[in-house]
Amino acid sequence: MTVAALSAAAYGSVLAWSCLLSTRVLPLTLFLGGGGALLLGLVLSRGHDELLGSALLVLAAAYVLGLLVGHHSLDEAAPLVGAGLLLCAELATWSLELRFRVSLEPALRLQRVRAVGLLVFSGLAAASLVLVVAATSLGGGLAWAMLGSAAAVGAIALAAFVRR
Amino acid sequence: MTRTDSPRLVVYAGLAAIGLIAGLAVGRVELVALAAPFALAAAVGASLARDPQLRGTLVLDRERALEGEDVRATVEVSGGESASRVDVLLPLPDELSERDRRNPAGVRASAGQVELALRCDRWGAFRIGPALVRVRDALAFHTWEATLGAGLPLRVYPSVETMRSLLEPLETQVYVGNQVSRTRGDGIEFADIREWHPGDRLRRVNWRASARRGELWVNEQHPERNTDIVLFLDTFTDARLGTRGTLDLTVRAAASLAHRYLQRKDRVGVVSYGGFVSWLLPASGTRQLYRIVDSLLQMGIVLSFATKNLDVLPRRTLPPRALVLALTPLLDSRSTAALLDLRARGFDLVVVEVSPVPFVKPFGDDLSALSYRLWSLSREAQRAQFEWAGIPIVSWTDGEALDAVLEEVRAFRRYARPVRA
Repeated sequence: MTVAALSAAAYGSVLAWSCLLSTRVLPLTLFLGGGGALLLGLVLSRGHDELLGSALLVLAAAYVLGLLVGHHSLDEAAPLVGAGLLLCAELATWSLELRFRVSLEPALRLQRVRAVGLLVFSGLAAASLVLVVAATSLGGGLAWAMLGSAAAVGAIALAAFVRR
Repeated sequence: MTRTDSPRLVVYAGLAAIGLIAGLAVGRVELVALAAPFALAAAVGASLARDPQLRGTLVLDRERALEGEDVRATVEVSGGESASRVDVLLPLPDELSERDRRNPAGVRASAGQVELALRCDRWGAFRIGPALVRVRDALAFHTWEATLGAGLPLRVYPSVETMRSLLEPLETQVYVGNQVSRTRGDGIEFADIREWHPGDRLRRVNWRASARRGELWVNEQHPERNTDIVLFLDTFTDARLGTRGTLDLTVRAAASLAHRYLQRKDRVGVVSYGGFVSWLLPASGTRQLYRIVDSLLQMGIVLSFATKNLDVLPRRTLPPRALVLALTPLLDSRSTAALLDLRARGFDLVVVEVSPVPFVKPFGDDLSALSYRLWSLSREAQRAQFEWAGIPIVSWTDGEALDAVLEEVRAFRRYARPVRA
């Protein structure tokens, strides 16, 4: 229950930040965020883990909408948003695992907290690194574009490989 | 070992791909930053997909236990270095329960073993295991499932009732035992005196009586003989409420009686008369006790509508002059007919009715109450049928001492003598 509440809190924080980005599309952001919250609620309360991806995607869309419409300069909180989404997903998954009545050693909970924390902080560091690299003028626009494309293709390949 | 990947790994990789493509398309680095944690998580997840090469064993601290005792099961796991958590589930039959509610148990892979205290709630022969094991990496991106150990046999023997005294058969056998025979011969227990006959040994002369009567008189003794006991178990049907039933009581009583009779060097045999007929020829000794208890563990209710009579039993199963102790819930007319047939054949028969009444709860409506009354009356009629045939019948209910019930029979039989047609 605590873990589910923490997951919902992470989701709410990201949604709140998305709403603050632009007041012009606030109703649409709220609509998208509310829909995502509903999906997350189904995940946490009914155990529909297949809806977790949709909930994250809808919230990310709400953030991107606010970013594109209302925030023309660089949003320095983007790594926090990414890490927040990841934290929300990890905590939601953990809360689903805790629904099964397994007698757990206390050390296992601590171990999981450490693993999730390390993953989220690493993600935050990686996202911050992306912003730092983008802010420094290294030049070579085409090379960066190719690198980004390769990363995207790699991510798609990974998704396809795991799904197989 | 079966591997299952978490669906969120695909979600993370997909979100990372969408973020990167969208970032490239709209030229906003924030979308790439948004995708970076998911890309990292997907990469970490993919790197954790290494089979843990798990090995392990399942061990029970003993193979035999008594009802109500605890047996310790240990699942030892090794070789799961790449794993973080190991969940162990030991599937248990309904008759066993895990005392500390630790089944299933989740432990660190480095912990190496899980100990479970299994409580034996009911008698029976069981096969424990194999244990089902689920191994996860630190972030539960991948799960491996396997079975560990082979199925281990566990025999749970019924608990034995404390019995101070036993029913004595009306007649003894010809072999030496602990039971004082009603006949006269060589023995310890004094029976009577009689006139001396040629061939009588000098040490048997009663000098005091001889001096008083002026001629030789000798002592007579009751010889010590053994007896044959046949436990006749009615297994046609069982009245059950929750975890307790008439078959449980029957088996417990049979185990107690066999244990006590064999202790005093009698020969004990068992006949299971039901849908499936089985028997053990009368014998004595510890080996026979184990044979009987093992056969009781296999005992179950097999539904059958076939008409059976005693001719299906081998002749040696029911030796002459044996005491037949029948344990029956009186729920099937075939067993009633068989018992009356035994009596008609001249066997010394005692019927212990293992009462199904505590296991039958009538519904609240009038029709149910009426049918319950009719059923009770028909049971009374059955009991009367036994009494008319001169068969002592007593009712034994759950929670009552078997000793007290048998005392009633003992009182009934105090002046009984065998009658031969």
